[in-house]
Amino acid sequence: MTTQRWLLALAASVLPLAVAAAVSSKAQTVQITAMNSAPYSDAAQVARLPVNTALTLVERKGGWYHVRLVNGRQGWIPMTSIKLAEGSQAPVQGGWNAGSLSGLFQSGRASTTDATATTGVRGLNEGTIKNAKPDPQAVQDLAKYAATPAAARSFAAQLKLKSEQVAYLPKDAKGGKP
Amino acid sequence: MNTRSPMLNWLLRGSSCGLSAALVLALAGCAQLMQLQPDQLASLAGDVKHAVAPVSVEEEEQIGQESAAVLLGASPPVNNPAMQAYVNRVGRWVALHSDRPDLPWQFAVLDDNDIDAYAAPGGYVFITKGLLLRLHSEAELAGVLGHEITHVVRKHHLNEIRRDSRLALVGTAAQLEMQQHGYNSQALAQIAAAAKLVYSRGLDKDDEFQADREGVVLAARSGYDPYALLEVLQMLQSIDPKSSKMALLLKTHPSPAARIAALSEAMQAGDMERYGNQVEGTERFASEMREFVAVR
Repeated sequence: MTTQRWLLALAASVLPLAVAAAVSSKAQTVQITAMNSAPYSDAAQVARLPVNTALTLVERKGGWYHVRLVNGRQGWIPMTSIKLAEGSQAPVQGGWNAGSLSGLFQSGRASTTDATATTGVRGLNEGTIKNAKPDPQAVQDLAKYAATPAAARSFAAQLKLKSEQVAYLPKDAKGGKP
Repeated sequence: MNTRSPMLNWLLRGSSCGLSAALVLALAGCAQLMQLQPDQLASLAGDVKHAVAPVSVEEEEQIGQESAAVLLGASPPVNNPAMQAYVNRVGRWVALHSDRPDLPWQFAVLDDNDIDAYAAPGGYVFITKGLLLRLHSEAELAGVLGHEITHVVRKHHLNEIRRDSRLALVGTAAQLEMQQHGYNSQALAQIAAAAKLVYSRGLDKDDEFQADREGVVLAARSGYDPYALLEVLQMLQSIDPKSSKMALLLKTHPSPAARIAALSEAMQAGDMERYGNQVEGTERFASEMREFVAVR
């Protein structure tokens, strides 16, 4: 029963991934895309993907996504060569996953569609901004949450964040001028 | 109130450079058409010069406080000190890597389920709960805050709000008093009105592209993975554009697709790949968010 063995092997390899990723990271290419063996532009090209190729995002490293095609082939593509499917999210490993929190955004507002019609609703939209009564006390109250530079630096150090010298990017990429 | 401001408004909107010299020349041309007397022209030119004169720190602070008061009047901060402290620490760290590290930077999470973030002059940066909870890492948060910090550093809102509010006052008694004693209540009301207009209509598209471009640089300077902002933009792109949660953001910004295209091109040209392996901070972000959700 070769087919059954293959199916079992496939299930065994796919199942742990499916359990780990509660929210799907489905995407499709938005341009003809070279899929490389590693997250570098000079890495070996393993496939050439046409526009609208369906794929699953596995992880991101800098400007590259590790992707898996429907046929199981894997490789790395530039992150901006894809568009996420609606309702899909970037791949998150052991991190915060807002997708698992349905109902999280329900409080504080009766509904999203009749928000402006309901009294006492919160939230910024053209209607609430237009009718806003400035609240200077709320601005004064922000001071109690402010972080000093020293507090910010020590919090950054906890995450081993290091300052880097980075120049501003060119405004016109083709012209190369800042 | 007065008959000049609509024309001035029109003149200033038509001028992209905002240089007072160029405006005076433009006014001279218009004065001929309108058959203004020389002394009227001189007064008009003085008004314009005053409206576009360099802004003092005090004035920026006043405009910033009133603009922030408008935003918080529409949506109060979340009542969660731990969450506010977290966003302030991350934000202050990123702001320390900007061209204006010494501003009295203040950050807040707004109790708003819509997806957006705001900046007000003088160092105020707000992110909605709806956007914050959809992020995945501290690097993404740093990118969003870096975008807003850039609006403050480059005085994007300040210039718009100041121009609109001053022009509304040109030729009034309130303007004279403002010149002598700073903003009075009538002037503050004009600032609030101008702020409402600017936050509803949005900034120039170029200001938004600049905020993306410089936002990723601030994140990279702060040790974060700069590509996280592109990830945020891809997240925005994946949400139904007809969703009411996205209405104001999409009205006031270029499309996510246009921002992704412009930003990725700039990052490629600027060789940002060197910083692609910097900190993402998914674990710390996740634990802060879990705590936030748990106490709600």
